[in-house]
Amino acid sequence: MSLSLNELEVHMADPAVLCCRRPAGTVLSAQDFEDPTIFDDMVESNLMTLNDDGLTIGQALGGTLKSDGEALTQLTADLVEGGAVESASEPGTAESLAEASAAAPVVSAAPAASADASTDAPNGYIHLHLDKAEGLDLVFPAGPAGSGIPANFAPAAAAGPDTEPEPAPEERVMRTLVKKDYPVSSVVIGQTTSYADGVLSIDGALIEAAEQADPLVKKVTMDVIAPEDRHVYSNTIMDVIPIAAKAEGSLGEGITNVLSGAVFVLTGMDEAGVQIHEFGSCEGFLDEKIRYGRPGCPDESDIMIRVDVQIEQGTGMERRGPFAAHSACDAIVHAIREQIKDLSAQTPVAQETFKDVRRKDRPRVVLVKEIMGQGAMHDNLLVPTEPCGVQGGEKNVDMGNVPVVLSPNEVLDGGIHALACIGPATKEITRHFFREPLVEALQADEEVDLTGVVFIGSPQVNDEKSFVSGRLGSLIEAMEVDGAIITTEGFGNNHIDFSENIAAIGSRGVPVVGVTFAAYQGQLVVGNQYMDAMIELNKDPDGFENEILADNTLTEDDAERAILMLKTKMAGIPIAAPERKWDESVIEANQALV
Amino acid sequence: MPTLTTAPGLRSEIFVPITPAPVWTPITKPLSECTVAFITSGGIHKKTQTPFNTAGDYTFREIPSDTPSDELMVTHGGFDNSDINKDVNAMLPIDRLRELRDEGVIGGLVDTFFGFMGGGGNVDKFRNETGPEIAKRLKAEGADIVLATGGCGTCHRSATIVLRACEAQGMSTCLIAALPPIARQQGAPRITAPHVPIGSNAGEPNNKEMQTGILRDTLDAVESFDHFGQLKMLPYEYRHNV
Repeated sequence: MSLSLNELEVHMADPAVLCCRRPAGTVLSAQDFEDPTIFDDMVESNLMTLNDDGLTIGQALGGTLKSDGEALTQLTADLVEGGAVESASEPGTAESLAEASAAAPVVSAAPAASADASTDAPNGYIHLHLDKAEGLDLVFPAGPAGSGIPANFAPAAAAGPDTEPEPAPEERVMRTLVKKDYPVSSVVIGQTTSYADGVLSIDGALIEAAEQADPLVKKVTMDVIAPEDRHVYSNTIMDVIPIAAKAEGSLGEGITNVLSGAVFVLTGMDEAGVQIHEFGSCEGFLDEKIRYGRPGCPDESDIMIRVDVQIEQGTGMERRGPFAAHSACDAIVHAIREQIKDLSAQTPVAQETFKDVRRKDRPRVVLVKEIMGQGAMHDNLLVPTEPCGVQGGEKNVDMGNVPVVLSPNEVLDGGIHALACIGPATKEITRHFFREPLVEALQADEEVDLTGVVFIGSPQVNDEKSFVSGRLGSLIEAMEVDGAIITTEGFGNNHIDFSENIAAIGSRGVPVVGVTFAAYQGQLVVGNQYMDAMIELNKDPDGFENEILADNTLTEDDAERAILMLKTKMAGIPIAAPERKWDESVIEANQALV
Repeated sequence: MPTLTTAPGLRSEIFVPITPAPVWTPITKPLSECTVAFITSGGIHKKTQTPFNTAGDYTFREIPSDTPSDELMVTHGGFDNSDINKDVNAMLPIDRLRELRDEGVIGGLVDTFFGFMGGGGNVDKFRNETGPEIAKRLKAEGADIVLATGGCGTCHRSATIVLRACEAQGMSTCLIAALPPIARQQGAPRITAPHVPIGSNAGEPNNKEMQTGILRDTLDAVESFDHFGQLKMLPYEYRHNV
């Protein structure tokens, strides 16, 4: 008596197993079947074995047991007569199973029911009502083998001729951002701060200014590390910060000047020599501890300007300590920003244009990015005045970690200054947001209408986690989106937020795809039924948080899989259930479908 | 007519254990002051009581906590009963609990333990009727702590449902699990797991030292666990090849 009628309909294709002892002559109904969701655990624990020649619940339903059956007996054709299975002469082969299905009342009733069903497909599902199965209601996706277009996104299908070309989406450009790239071929620490002809000069006196930025800052050093000279020991890497300044407009619109070819790398420890890190740290040789080329990292050819900050002893795990280090570094970066605001006399080597576009008639999609919000290094500055800056930014911890919407352009214009110092391999640092692959891909995708990017913190207290997840749910409801992708950095307790946030979206009927590092070390400890379309960010061969900066963070490939999975789910095409354990071949197979 | 680029054949990349919402009652006093209850879904009842229907049964039997262990028996079709037939303490460690009470390790025992047959259990009945009813009675008898064993796989689920009802009514619970993955997935608030086969979930028959050790370690876990869903493997191993 383990399946309710509601549960039955989603398990029609699962193996039919008796939940309890049943005598011969029992006419099989929902209450006789064991709940298939526990089979994997039962098999794993050697409590039962499942053979390939068994009947599905759909086949066994309505049949009669020929002999007494014990609990957890898998039903096969020789144990059951009548019902859907009657005409299945050779159970066990794909062909005969197909025959059995074809002979089932479930399917044979479909044509008769289709007249009723055609007017009752509100969400891309066909709804069948079968009198013969004693009032069983069966709901299944309408078009997995068809066009892949969900009914609700294809309202014109019946009205228009097939040959009519698809009209271009009605686009409304909300704002435009142009990033102009100016090359840096060498960096010198000298007497003045200036940029000209590819040479970035940084006034050495800025180091002293950096030391004055916050009373907790005790010592600042700065050096320049050329790409060919990276075998240099370093304290743990707290952040990678692009050098960018607004030339026109405010964050997210107008023109941003970017110095390409050089980035700031913030490292630090406290006076006692304790690395400023939390879960895992990546001090070591810079050629070994950075996954060059990740969105958050320096690229292979980048010059690194390393700013190492020593803060007051014992403040590394308080909010004020890491913030002081970031403030010190920003004092130097900001002085450079002042010098590159007006580069009208020089020619950029490249420029990229980003448009916040609303596409009417396209499915509305939201990207939710979960960020750390538990104090210490688990904090982020939202929407600073200058790209990737510190000043003007609001800390998500101070805002109670509630969801805050940024436009895609605001994100890509350095709208997040990340103070995060969770596991180095999974943290999303400032440069990551400056070129976030999912934001860039969704923004440019003409098949969807990207409504915005929601940032939601992961609070420390469980009640607060529920509070912010609840607010996210209400926000999503108000946005009336058709689909959502939610990402998280890190792993562990933030997966509680992650699962609650996914439930907050999924429970409102919105298809949602979850993106996180889990693999071996970060495998999920909590979950819910809405987490059925998940993207794995792991890149480590053994599935570990490996302390290589940004190794297990989101890349372009991951973004492509996530978007494809969301579109597929929105179209009502089933996403197959995951393997029971992390399996790299699943990821590779999905990538091959992109 | 907007179209979406889709790809049949995609597979979700991350395994997700489906866990119900947390339910949690912290323990607020020392074990020596706590009144302890024990329940089992392993089909234990008094020999004088109506046996369970092994085809599925959501009823329960009251087992006075002073019942001599030789007046108890098992009716359960889901696993080999031979260990319980040798020593009912392998599933319901009633003698060990009385010893722990007499030694002052725990403050006392409720008057009534409960046995039910969790195999193939009717989830809705257990969730809506049996669980809340047992929890209500244990609460009325002053239970601070409720310990449990599950027998078979679905018994673990039934036991977990009843424990969650107890936890929701203000008692601190722990499942002694032979199948910890099921206990965890079904949302048991606390789990200890000795390395034992189903059928002797509370320890090897007639091995007083092991049975006592499992109970004491489980009580320690109730005291030390500080959040929902914690699991501790216990260092006791017994194998029984049927």
